[in-house]
Amino acid sequence: MTGAARLVLDGVAKRYGRAVVLDDVSLEVESGEIVVVCGPSGGGKTVLLRLIAGTEQPDQGDIRIDGKSMLGLGAEQRDVGMAFQNFALYPHLTAYQNIASPLEARGLATAEIKQRVDKVAALLRIGHVLGHTPRELSNGQKQRTSLARALVRGPGTLLLDDPLRNVDAKLRYEMRLELPRLLASFGSAVIYVTQDYREAMALGRRIAVLRQGRFEQVGAPETVYGEPANLEIARLFGDPTINLYPCRPDGEAVELLGERVPLAPGMAQLAGREVMLGIRAEDIEVATEPMPGSVAAELDAVTPLNVRAVLYLRSRDGKELLATVPEDDALRFGRGHRPVWAKLAPDRFLAFDPATGARL
Amino acid sequence: MATTAGIVFPTAPRQSFGRAALPYLLSLPALLVCIGILVPFGTAVWYSLQRYNMNLPMMRGFVWFEQYTQLFQSSAFWNTVWVSLLYAVFTVGAELLLGLGIALLLRRSTWLNNMLSIALLLPLMVAPAIASLMWKLMTHPDFGIFSYLLSLVGIHDFRWASAPSSALFTVILVDVWVYTPFIMILLLAGLRSLPRQPFEAAELDGVPASFVFFRITLPMLMPYIITAALFRMLDSIQQFDIVYAMTQGGPGNSTLLFQVQAYLDFFKNFNVGRSAAMLMVLWLIANLISTQFIKHWLRLRERARGGAA
Amino acid sequence: MGRSSLGGAVLRGMLLTLVVLFFLFPILWVVLMSFQTNETILRIPPSLLFEPTLSNYTALISGKLVTNAGTLELAFMNNLKNSVVLSTVSVALALLLGVPAAYAFARFRFRLGENIAFTLLSFRFAPPLLVLLPLSLYFRQLGLTDTWVGLIWVYQLIALPLILWIVRGYFEDISPDIEHAYRIDGHGWWRTFTRIALPLARPGIAAAGLLAFIFCWNNFVFALILASADKQPVTVGALAFVTASGIQYGQIAAAVMLSILPTLLLALYAQRYLVEGLSLGAVKG
Repeated sequence: MTGAARLVLDGVAKRYGRAVVLDDVSLEVESGEIVVVCGPSGGGKTVLLRLIAGTEQPDQGDIRIDGKSMLGLGAEQRDVGMAFQNFALYPHLTAYQNIASPLEARGLATAEIKQRVDKVAALLRIGHVLGHTPRELSNGQKQRTSLARALVRGPGTLLLDDPLRNVDAKLRYEMRLELPRLLASFGSAVIYVTQDYREAMALGRRIAVLRQGRFEQVGAPETVYGEPANLEIARLFGDPTINLYPCRPDGEAVELLGERVPLAPGMAQLAGREVMLGIRAEDIEVATEPMPGSVAAELDAVTPLNVRAVLYLRSRDGKELLATVPEDDALRFGRGHRPVWAKLAPDRFLAFDPATGARL
Repeated sequence: MATTAGIVFPTAPRQSFGRAALPYLLSLPALLVCIGILVPFGTAVWYSLQRYNMNLPMMRGFVWFEQYTQLFQSSAFWNTVWVSLLYAVFTVGAELLLGLGIALLLRRSTWLNNMLSIALLLPLMVAPAIASLMWKLMTHPDFGIFSYLLSLVGIHDFRWASAPSSALFTVILVDVWVYTPFIMILLLAGLRSLPRQPFEAAELDGVPASFVFFRITLPMLMPYIITAALFRMLDSIQQFDIVYAMTQGGPGNSTLLFQVQAYLDFFKNFNVGRSAAMLMVLWLIANLISTQFIKHWLRLRERARGGAA
Repeated sequence: MGRSSLGGAVLRGMLLTLVVLFFLFPILWVVLMSFQTNETILRIPPSLLFEPTLSNYTALISGKLVTNAGTLELAFMNNLKNSVVLSTVSVALALLLGVPAAYAFARFRFRLGENIAFTLLSFRFAPPLLVLLPLSLYFRQLGLTDTWVGLIWVYQLIALPLILWIVRGYFEDISPDIEHAYRIDGHGWWRTFTRIALPLARPGIAAAGLLAFIFCWNNFVFALILASADKQPVTVGALAFVTASGIQYGQIAAAVMLSILPTLLLALYAQRYLVEGLSLGAVKG
């Protein structure tokens, strides 16, 4: 990648009356890079997109595209394409006219418009419905028309606002595989917004977690998942949600779930502190026989989840523990209500400060 | 990403001036209309505080609220209040009853019912002043069809709008003829938008029709009824066209509604101050009613919007 | 609602017939009268069978009435022309001025807009004479009495608030994202307004224009106070007929018919818009 980033957000802030929606947001996106902005609803993701697209102006900070400041410039003066969550197709125009709109705005010749629209429609496999109005399209076709419209001009910056949200599950999986390939051929700087962490991890080269108007962590998917900056991010990423327990480690081990559980040597400096200890469900091994360093628990229930099964365990001191195992393995456990032993991988523990939530 | 902490960027012009001025430019004509309303309104308030008779220009002077106190002491004023009240109550009452009845009759959405509801809309499309003219023709003592029909049942010499005893009745009748369709369409739309479940359940339970009407239909329809009633009351108490076209306020003072009285005071007696004061009183009454109406109407609109969305 | 006993159905039929008779009979009767000569009208008992005549209409249209007392000039056609001009021009102007303003109110939240909207709404329910009586004095001073400019401007007081209120709601119903998308595509705000907002709000604009036309056409008191014989519309003109001597009742009936025909036809043609507009959005048609 060349030096200068395509899209630069520099200390952007936005307020509505008293409510601060975005506070000191900065990010750089290169050409051809997909950055996923992930976070709970109300975090400011849609506002961020509106600021980049130009339908609103930031109260503070700068937005630069290709090195040029976008302050004061309206949406129509920016080289940005956007696909909306609810598609935002023009109901009184055909799919063809919808897609042609950005080209029309640039004053291209009819013949060239047709060529480019046909090309991108073929890419998204909607060539056969170009003559339909949005009302006559299925949700999946509407979503791809919306994408086509955003892509047809080959914009330098592409904004995708949770485009797969209103699409049925099967199609969502297909698109999740297709999108990176599709976007790679256009080379735009892409910001993809979603609430679904799995989508974020599947699509993004980097993930930027936006919570309460700030980027709380920006990094590669593995980093955000494996080394979350704080409790909330750890909770956000992972299904089932990470198991969290307040406790006080004593250097080598910790009183947890009614037993003494060994810790990895790296956690020695936490001795004596009050911490929230987290362990992900997939880092727990469950067996019908005791294992060294394992915790005795009661298996309450088994729930299949995709190709894994979630085991609901209850520790000796009454706390709940969730573990996942491959579905085939789960067959061993039947439907539950039997004693089991759970081994919590010592080096997979995550420690958080109970007061601030930050990771230690 | 590190931020440039500590440095405050100067706030660049967030929008071009033209873009910010756009909404004001677009609404300029509406603003002009507003001014066109507020200026005469202000003038009317100003006049109502004066003794101002165009016949006696030298007597013109500022008298504060004397105009109002004199008004409240004059029997003519109270006659106007009484007549206007009678008119408003009887027109709205009759229109509500009739309108509700017709809406109930046309409740089911059949081809015939829909055709009829369109046909019944027609009197509302006639200019009220022209409606008065039509009824004048029909109640003419010599050739009026209604006079004739009355004579068939033994009532001769019913003077309709020519007698003080029956003039108010006649104008009320014209008002009912013109405005009942308005109540009808409002209540019909309300009826058709009611959820089906309570009625289906009642039918399954074998509940008698009168119970269904009084305990289910009516309460659910109440917001529409109240909105319609307030709206019509507002217009009815300020009625001018129908009354003026029919009787010009007469015979005697039997149909002197507020605006008719004010009009005559201005153009016949040239008493600018007194007519302005009377209109201000009317405006106050209308304001009280309209705040109630707007509250109910906005609630109704939210409900329709929410349902449709 | 499925309780249709025969007795119930008969009762419903009877009641509906009475209702229809009451509301439609007057219109029918006046139509008949307009085709009758004075002798036919004055005949007692009145009969449904008679020899129809077009003389009333020809007299009105030609503007000349030949009676025993001589030839009378009938100015009714002028009144009709005035109504047509006043209503169409006023509504056209109100649409031109009001639709962009409604767009501004719908899309931009600005204090002045809310104040204007509030003022216009509150004065919808104020007594017209409160504004008209002082206005008549101003008009006289400014020389605007009985002029096209003066009347069309005053008719804006009728048409504009109506258009603003109805059309604003329709603009608000358009999802803002659609307009944002069009702007991001690269179009400016004017094109967004004309290519996206206007087409999508067209039903509302039609309803508003229709209603405004009917209200302007049916208006009586504005023209009564601010116009003289030259510019009077049919509402005032028809009434003047009654007091003029030598006018025959058949012509009055014919004048009434000509006065109400446009609004009746409009209502029949576009009744769905009417219901929505009349209830001011309280019910969706």
